[in-house]
Amino acid sequence: MTRADWLVLLLAIALLPVLYTKYWGAGGPADRARIAANGQAPLEIPLSRNQQLHIHGPLGDSVLEVKDGRARFLSSPCPGQQCVHSGWLARAGDLAACLPNGITLSLQGARPRFDSINF
Amino acid sequence: MSETVHSTRDDHRIAWLTALAISIHIAESALPSPLPGVKPGLANVVTVIALIHYGWSTAAWVALLRVLVGSIVIGTFLSPTFALSLAGAVASVAVLRLASWAPVGLFGPVGYSLLAALAHMAAQFWTAYWLFIPHEALLHLFPLLMSAAVIFGTVSGVIALLTLKGLRAGASP
Repeated sequence: MTRADWLVLLLAIALLPVLYTKYWGAGGPADRARIAANGQAPLEIPLSRNQQLHIHGPLGDSVLEVKDGRARFLSSPCPGQQCVHSGWLARAGDLAACLPNGITLSLQGARPRFDSINF
Repeated sequence: MSETVHSTRDDHRIAWLTALAISIHIAESALPSPLPGVKPGLANVVTVIALIHYGWSTAAWVALLRVLVGSIVIGTFLSPTFALSLAGAVASVAVLRLASWAPVGLFGPVGYSLLAALAHMAAQFWTAYWLFIPHEALLHLFPLLMSAAVIFGTVSGVIALLTLKGLRAGASP
């Protein structure tokens, strides 16, 4: 191996921690929660105010809680309770869904992204 | 009236090397992959050897033809997989063009192979991100994929280094 080879290898290895901190570090801060329920217009609420929301779905009311800049499903009438077990969402892009009750909760950051993806 | 296609020695050499690269490419496509986009990329060895022995244009032909023919044989021609492979191959060939302008002997096979692997992975990733899955969650994969590129690029480079040593030992009596 030549010296330039070693240099390339060392630079490549040095690049990796930079990539990990850049892409695995805290995701963008979230400032809004977007709540989408079956057959209703999506609702966007700020994370700055603590509150509880009752969102109506086919199975009944799901309770969503916003507290200290985070959001979660507090309770839901669904059988699986995956949405509740998703716990607190804190970063932009985090998402929890209650499929049986047709409700998704996702956090949005300051940077606007895309409306939808089609394949 | 008949027409004859005249092929040069270079054409034959490119065809042989490409055939070798395609065989490796296809054999590798049968391996299971822990993450989409991660594979050893051993066909890279052939590109690097072609680059060192015969120069950049042979290497570029071999890399691009391998992606084209490999995709036709595997059945991914013009699919997203093909777009990703092609973007990767074009990027790695471009980076090798830059690297081969350096004075002869500056880079060895390991350096070329690493540069090619990193360029391939980066181009493939950003193509996937812009064209197919523009979701921020995909970005979490980038460090992992680049780590794989560093590891496999080095391994391919070392294989190319050993192969070149063997070729030289075989060539000299």
